[in-house]
Amino acid sequence: MSEKPWSEVNFLRPKKGYMGGEVLITLVILIGWGGATFGFQLLQKFLETTPAGENIFTRFTFFNLPFNVWFTGQFLPLWFVLLCIVFNLYIDRLTERHSRVRYPYEHE
Amino acid sequence: MNMSDLHIKFVPLVITVVVLTSFLLVGLLYKVRESSEYGLGGRSTGRIGSGAAIASNWMSAASFLGMAGFFYLNGYLGLACVIGWTGGYVLLLTLLAGQIRRFGKYTAPDFVGERYDSPMARLISALISIAISVIYCAAQFKGIGILFGWLFGLPYDAAVTLGAVAVISYVVFAGSQGVMKNQKLQYTILIISFVVPLMLLAKKLGYFWILPQFGYGAALAQVSPEFRASFTLPFAGSSLFQWSALCFTLMVGTAGLPHVLSRFYIVPNIRDARWSVVWGLYFIALIYWSAPAYAVFARLLEARSGVAPDPATARGMADMIVLTAATQGGLPLWLVGVLAAGGLSAAFATVSGLLMTGAASCSHDIYAGLLHPAASEYRKMRVAKGCTLLLALVVYLIAVNPPGLIVEITAVAFALAGNTIFPAFLLGIWWGRANRQGIITGMLLGVLVTFAAPLLGGRIPWVATLFPLTSSAFCGAPLVILVTIAVSLMTPAPPERIRRFLATEVHGHLD
Repeated sequence: MSEKPWSEVNFLRPKKGYMGGEVLITLVILIGWGGATFGFQLLQKFLETTPAGENIFTRFTFFNLPFNVWFTGQFLPLWFVLLCIVFNLYIDRLTERHSRVRYPYEHE
Repeated sequence: MNMSDLHIKFVPLVITVVVLTSFLLVGLLYKVRESSEYGLGGRSTGRIGSGAAIASNWMSAASFLGMAGFFYLNGYLGLACVIGWTGGYVLLLTLLAGQIRRFGKYTAPDFVGERYDSPMARLISALISIAISVIYCAAQFKGIGILFGWLFGLPYDAAVTLGAVAVISYVVFAGSQGVMKNQKLQYTILIISFVVPLMLLAKKLGYFWILPQFGYGAALAQVSPEFRASFTLPFAGSSLFQWSALCFTLMVGTAGLPHVLSRFYIVPNIRDARWSVVWGLYFIALIYWSAPAYAVFARLLEARSGVAPDPATARGMADMIVLTAATQGGLPLWLVGVLAAGGLSAAFATVSGLLMTGAASCSHDIYAGLLHPAASEYRKMRVAKGCTLLLALVVYLIAVNPPGLIVEITAVAFALAGNTIFPAFLLGIWWGRANRQGIITGMLLGVLVTFAAPLLGGRIPWVATLFPLTSSAFCGAPLVILVTIAVSLMTPAPPERIRRFLATEVHGHLD
């Protein structure tokens, strides 16, 4: 084990291979996470027509709620679940691809 | 609470006692069965079961009472809690879950001590973990006080004292008997006791009751347009900064809470651990989709009765709005009792988990780790028991005069976790160069930043603006991360042994 070559761990400069894939999917998921959460609030700020934040999303209703409330309060938690599913599917495949042993998950 | 409520409610009390006692009894049976089977949480648990365990470990008085209360008071800002407390799991899953599992350390102090090769860093993170537990528990005690006040018809200070005695007896009994938590059963009780009363409430008020999570929107259309606007417009009650700061703080706090991080070791295999997070998040979301509905129904009932409370009164009653909505909506008393029993079991379970973790940290990390390395197991156990009572006393003293709403108190605990433990794990896992000088400076700065608003905000106004007490991690966590990086780069790299372990085992296990 101590003979294994190694290089310093750095999220911004990941090693090729498993860690590279892990960092890539993490970045993709985090962009989806931050973009939907904070990007949507920022968008509402840009589009506001009154100081209280009235904007195109507050004017139409969706599932009985103003769209902005539905999107933030109901869609985003679901979106997070979906992001986690995508992340797990990708890591499952990545692990399979990089495993040279017969029972891959026990060594993940 | 109005005066007519000041009488003891027998049926709800009996339901509560039955629910809490059944947890203890099932826990004792479970213990007997478990000791004959192999290990903790064997494979039969499965991903859905582990997900339910994650959710029930997570559910507390903040989810059960606090969130609806905060939403009732603040409208759209309240959604920052819904998002913060679910979105945090995305951070946890993508950045930390698999890696801390491969690192193989079970608690925050163990991880920090080992990764940064420093007893001092370990001590600081242990003290921080204990502080997080105490603050989080104080919010639970407030919830327990409110529910006991309703059940026994007592004013808050008497109720919180009675509740404190009850919960400590529960913790001591469960601890001394080695009661195992059956978290699947607990989650089932929680979700039923939260959602069934909500369904009936929606039905009584005349809305779509099969999925009241979608039905409450129609209720919102029936309050006055002025109120609806102030409740749902994004920046009516808070600025973009306030919303984002609260949301982000709760997210990084979720990914830095010691008792949440240690959950990943209980599931036997790492792939199951990852998938159980998805189920856990889904189960948490089920409750969080429902909480705002209670708040909206409470507002609707106020509008129908024609008496809207002034802001101070509303703030005073916000944390019991779930019960108020259920009672005023005309639910049968026993069903309100089910709701109260669910809230109390969430609070009791959270308190027992946090107090035991805090006490173990006192005994294992501080007493045995630093003061008396040669202490016997018996001695450590006695210290842990003493610490449980000591911590409970501190919690009680905070909770007697609660400094804020349940969500606000809880948010301070999350801010502290997000400003200290989260950066320590994030950099510890993803940057081999992070060293002990860096993280010690970073964690101390994180503590300062968390309490900067009350400490310095009076003299330096921009501090209070950038680091509000409940939302300090939005600017705080990035600042701590940058300072940790800068100090690490100015001081020698950590031992090669650790950097190699990180590169070959934590990130290179399949190379």
